[in-house]
Amino acid sequence: MTQNLELTDIQGNIVKAYGAFNFTKARYLFLRIDNGDKGREFVGAVTTKVTSAVRWEKNSMPVATTNIGFTFSGLQALELPTASLMGFPEEFVMGMKGRKDILGDDGPSDPMYWDKIWQETVHIWLSINGQSIEAVDERYQWILKQIEASDGGVTLLTGHRGEKDEDNLPYQDASVLYDAEGKPTPKEHFGYTDGIGDAVFEGQTNIQARVLGRGKLTRSGHWEPLATGEFLLGHVDEAMDYPQTAPTPKLLAHNGTYMVYRKLHENVGSFNRFLDEQSKVFPGSKELLAAKFSGRWRDNGAPVVNAPDDASKAEWDKNYAAADFAGQKKMLIDFTYNDDIDGAKCPISAHIRRINPRGSLEYGVKDAYERPGALVDRRRILRRGLPYGKVKDPTRDDGNHGIIFMALNADIKRQFEFVQQQWINYANDFKEGNDKEVLLGNHDAKNPGKVVFQVEKGSGKAPHFVNNIPRLIEARGGDYFFIPSITALKMIAGGIVDPT
Amino acid sequence: MSNIAGKAYAMNVITPIRWYKVWINRLIFKIALSKPSTLKGLVTLSLIHYARWVIIPRDGFPHLDSSQPKENLNYAYMLFFSNFNGSWDQYVDSFTFAIPAGLDLFWKWNVRYPKSVPLSPFHKYIRHNQIDTSHYYNAYPMAASNDVKSAKKLKQALINFNAESASKTSEEFLADYNRLLNYLQHDFGEMRATPIVSLAAHAVKERYLKSHAAH
Repeated sequence: MTQNLELTDIQGNIVKAYGAFNFTKARYLFLRIDNGDKGREFVGAVTTKVTSAVRWEKNSMPVATTNIGFTFSGLQALELPTASLMGFPEEFVMGMKGRKDILGDDGPSDPMYWDKIWQETVHIWLSINGQSIEAVDERYQWILKQIEASDGGVTLLTGHRGEKDEDNLPYQDASVLYDAEGKPTPKEHFGYTDGIGDAVFEGQTNIQARVLGRGKLTRSGHWEPLATGEFLLGHVDEAMDYPQTAPTPKLLAHNGTYMVYRKLHENVGSFNRFLDEQSKVFPGSKELLAAKFSGRWRDNGAPVVNAPDDASKAEWDKNYAAADFAGQKKMLIDFTYNDDIDGAKCPISAHIRRINPRGSLEYGVKDAYERPGALVDRRRILRRGLPYGKVKDPTRDDGNHGIIFMALNADIKRQFEFVQQQWINYANDFKEGNDKEVLLGNHDAKNPGKVVFQVEKGSGKAPHFVNNIPRLIEARGGDYFFIPSITALKMIAGGIVDPT
Repeated sequence: MSNIAGKAYAMNVITPIRWYKVWINRLIFKIALSKPSTLKGLVTLSLIHYARWVIIPRDGFPHLDSSQPKENLNYAYMLFFSNFNGSWDQYVDSFTFAIPAGLDLFWKWNVRYPKSVPLSPFHKYIRHNQIDTSHYYNAYPMAASNDVKSAKKLKQALINFNAESASKTSEEFLADYNRLLNYLQHDFGEMRATPIVSLAAHAVKERYLKSHAAH
């Protein structure tokens, strides 16, 4: 089945990870709608600049992009008809704060400690991605003008935490991190290479090269793109169904999706101390230990399942250096855990194995399920976002640095929330009880958890226990947004949404 | 009322089946029981404490007392009774994704069974025929089925180890101990409270605890 997407109608951030197109800077704005008529007019004005998913040629690439989404209360403020509003799913209606018990946002991640902006009512999310900070700023100035022109219709909310720990910024900036020579890198603040294994779905371009390890695993061991409806409303999903999260009328939902926005603070000092302490008792190098936490080596993203110790990593690096561009991509993404069901190479609790277990939830029982990834293919998300802030002192946790995490999916509850709750903060599906994933888990300072790094079964060796895991990531804000199609944006702006 | 107790969810689904087709289902159950490989998907899912399918013939419902009016039923019924870990969605979805053919085999002869794929008609069918649980007691609310399996394995291994290690030298003891840890390396999952899979069920529980604390 091949599917042609209506690229002119779909917002570009759904189909493209802008970071992969040299957009190294981003700015996120949040607004409140104070007047329905003027608010819709503002949405109409912004829609003229909204970036679609149309393919870019080298000379047609914009210097800045703009995308827009709405919270449930935002759609209320825009005066969508009640019948349409009632078609939105529970979790979207409740918003991220209301879901804190599902997401495990407790302790230092509790919404009461979030940036001040999240104590306000947020209606609109606006994103600008730019090839330079100047391009971002130019688009930002244009948006400020539209806000002014709305004449009190919308208000730009301030309250993002800045460098001085004051929650006084009117926007959230994000940027790739640069190496010592000033070259952009795909790193985040813990030093990991990020954004390698994003999901691939039917209708995206250049599928053949990208689908390996990123689509769904077939019984014969091949990879196919996931069904479009996992990521876009109005399209058939992996259950041969249309996403049940779509509001009416059809045109309001079609080609739209849901986005999770989360500001995640990284406790860099705790991470570094934890890694140092644990590596003293770990049988292997410190970098191997860091690789076992995430499932990928920090320096180049080598999957630890194919480079499970220092010697094999050296070999992997040699092959990687000798490979061409396509070969390198393949080495990074094309793998399964079929030969590592016990987790001796890549621990079962490693980050990338928890969030995308590939075929491993079949536990090596051949043909147990309809497809090897039967329990996985409906839990995938599209990852977007960039790091924010700078680490000034790698021994400290405070400061303003982390990741702006964005996830796109057709069903927040079934996809993002499920992964967050069941696979990061809990592990029954992995037969690891309540053991949380090391990097993202909401570890409890009073009662810190552990994970087991398995070894070769029958080898007589003891597995390695990683104990006293501190909370390495803290939520600092976020919400759930509806990302309408461009048609739907025009309908909302025109006040012509009618579900009858 | 709650279908949830700790990490367990109780599901009762009762679906009509034409009485003259009951024999087909009985035959299918018999084959499934005699060929365990037909259930390997279910077993691998490992989120089920108990699951049972029972056929209740048209005249098979209990008649407890002569004062109870006699019923004249048009259908026989299939009772599906299951105690599993996780939310309703997680369970029903796992079933549909992982073993759609097995579900269809068991329910195929039931009246208006829509097949397990696509998902939403199947969801509606189960919801429509589900009997909610009025009282549900769970002696080990923190134990998922996997926790129980691991605990049993760990207990037996420790008892054996204890019996065998008494007279060993310290080198032998260490080697044996490492072997023990290796054998148990998938059974060390921490057992703690369940994640909150349903905010509504959680609120019911909180209200209950609050009112009982007040008295």
